[in-house]
Amino acid sequence: MVVGAWICLLAPLAGALGITLAGQRISRRTAGWISTLSTLVAFGGALVALFGLWAADPSDREQVSTAYTWLAAGDFEVEVQILLDTLSSTMMLVVSGVGGLIVWYSMGYMAGDDEERRYFAYMSLFVFSMLLLVEAGNFLLLLVGWGLVGLASYLLIGFWHHRPEAVAAAKKAFVMNAIGDATFALACVLLIWETGTLEFSGVFVGVDSLSSTPVNLVALGLLGGAIAKSAQIPLHTWLPDAMEGPTPVSALIHAATMVTAGVYLLVRAHPIFEAAPDIQHLAAILGAATLLVAGAIALVQWDIKRVIAYSTMSQIGYMFLAAGIGAYGYAIFHLMTHAFFKALLFMSAGLVIHHLGGEQDIRRMGGLKDVMPRTHVAFLVGILALVGIPPFAGFWSKDGIIASALATGGALGYTLYVAALVGALFTGAYAFRLYYTVFRGSQSKYAAEHAHEGHGEGPRSMLVPVGILTVLSTIGGLVVIPGVWHPLTEWIGETAEALVDPTVAEDYETSALAVALGLVGLFLARRAFQAGRQLVTSPVIWRVLEHKLYFDELYDALFYRPAVAVSAALRRNVEEPVIERSLDEIGSGTIQVGGEVARVQSGLLRTYAVAIALAVCVLVVVFVAVR
Amino acid sequence: MDGPDIGWYLIVAAMLFGIGALGVMLRRSPLIVLLSLEIMLNASNLTLIAFARQRGDLTGQVFALAVMAVAAAEVAIGLGLIVAMARRRLVLDVDQASALRG
Repeated sequence: MVVGAWICLLAPLAGALGITLAGQRISRRTAGWISTLSTLVAFGGALVALFGLWAADPSDREQVSTAYTWLAAGDFEVEVQILLDTLSSTMMLVVSGVGGLIVWYSMGYMAGDDEERRYFAYMSLFVFSMLLLVEAGNFLLLLVGWGLVGLASYLLIGFWHHRPEAVAAAKKAFVMNAIGDATFALACVLLIWETGTLEFSGVFVGVDSLSSTPVNLVALGLLGGAIAKSAQIPLHTWLPDAMEGPTPVSALIHAATMVTAGVYLLVRAHPIFEAAPDIQHLAAILGAATLLVAGAIALVQWDIKRVIAYSTMSQIGYMFLAAGIGAYGYAIFHLMTHAFFKALLFMSAGLVIHHLGGEQDIRRMGGLKDVMPRTHVAFLVGILALVGIPPFAGFWSKDGIIASALATGGALGYTLYVAALVGALFTGAYAFRLYYTVFRGSQSKYAAEHAHEGHGEGPRSMLVPVGILTVLSTIGGLVVIPGVWHPLTEWIGETAEALVDPTVAEDYETSALAVALGLVGLFLARRAFQAGRQLVTSPVIWRVLEHKLYFDELYDALFYRPAVAVSAALRRNVEEPVIERSLDEIGSGTIQVGGEVARVQSGLLRTYAVAIALAVCVLVVVFVAVR
Repeated sequence: MDGPDIGWYLIVAAMLFGIGALGVMLRRSPLIVLLSLEIMLNASNLTLIAFARQRGDLTGQVFALAVMAVAAAEVAIGLGLIVAMARRRLVLDVDQASALRG
């Protein structure tokens, strides 16, 4: 089964290298197939690993496989090793499975693009990096995967490099992620210092005997990495801009896999966070703040992908909340169902965008229900799963998280509980606002113009993955039914035992409340839509939300402007007067001195002879005098 | 040791050297300048041989021979230059040959 894990890891890498090295010798379509098939091979490997693990004895479900020693410095060694346990096998399955569907979908979406081969090479690289991240057996290898997914996401966001917004968005994503990478790396250094190892098992054993300050610092560093990668407040501003990338990229990176890496890290490193409960609670609080803020901002956005992007931030906020209160099983469960329905939402949004010739503004959409019936069903399923209407996938996972917050109790637990419930209301409102604006009502002029260009709803390579995800979003949540069975949370619990376990009664009470609030959101959105007005009627609130609570402006004023001012001042006062002018002066000074010295060289032989004679005389006098 | 005291030799050598040096510094004809140079070299030869005799050491004499060989080579080149100047009908005046002025 460890072999399966290695195959899972290496197949996408082979795909990426193959496409890159083959260059123009293969057709664009072949490149797409190589990428898709290598990801599906990875999925096969993940399945082998998962079933192997399932069949194994429960005490034997944590397997480390080492390829070779990568770095050795005295007693400190880092090996290239993978860790196969219940958590990583689940993540492998989600990443390679959903990833494979999205790469497949890309073949239709990207058909005809000039640089398809490059695109598929990047996609394979991304899948490899993500698998490295989830399979890594020590923190350094995890950091390598962590950095590589950041790189792949940078490359893919800026894939349409002729668009300045895309390039700017790519840079923004990279810089924001670099902040997190730096804190993560510092945490790793601290871990080497304090525990002398980076291997998960060693670190988790060593962390118990540490005093609270280093543990808190390490946890804080890891949390910094997690919030940057997962677009949580305050490092969240890159995610909405990242929607400049191709839609399947949004689905793959910014919904299904990469942004959930932070959640994975919180769960993977749970012993560290449990040793630093304050930091763990901070994660939950940041998650709750993000889910509220992102949900509110999503109410006023006009770009179809940005609405879904804010929804992603909001849902990851739920996962952070869960991981922060120790409901690890539910965090990963929600990660999985979210991967299904958010990929589905992005991909059906992609169908809409594809159909309308690249239009993303929902004000120019409307009434697409009759034109695109199959997309409509898929999108609706995604929305229902997102809002958490039973029996769709999101219902089971999100309500589990909210119930866990209730079960935690105390001031913190109840605050988080209320925040999560309000978030559910927001979710219902923005999700159905999006749905009604895009699919219901009368067809807009723009939609009518573009509706009959004769390529149906999309090529089969796009429709089949959407269909599969529709099914998964419908039934994918049934692996955990409170009071009946919960194999998934138990499975994850073997690696990361949950700190809270809501009772069945709490579960169903919460569910009733959350569903009711979701339906209230639906009702509000529906009424606003029928009345032809917006959900947010106050112009002040509207403006604040439209500016995303002024986070970009704040960072602009706090970091960008001072940096520019300092640089400009340095240029004006140091660079120009000191450095640039000094070069001129060195040159002119040399010329001047040369001119003076040149006058000595008269060309008259006899003057030279006199000079030599005088010099000798002087030397003789000096020698004699010195003696 | 027979003969005059070493001081006399040195005085003669110094006078010869002074005459040569003044010739190099004051005269303008390249031929005379060369001649004066030879006088200076021979002054130093005289010094070398005088010290060699006083110390009973042959090294100084060998050195004088080497100086003579160098002087011969130098005269050959110097005269060659003067002949070349005369052939091109240049004025034989070292002050006029000042093209290397900086």
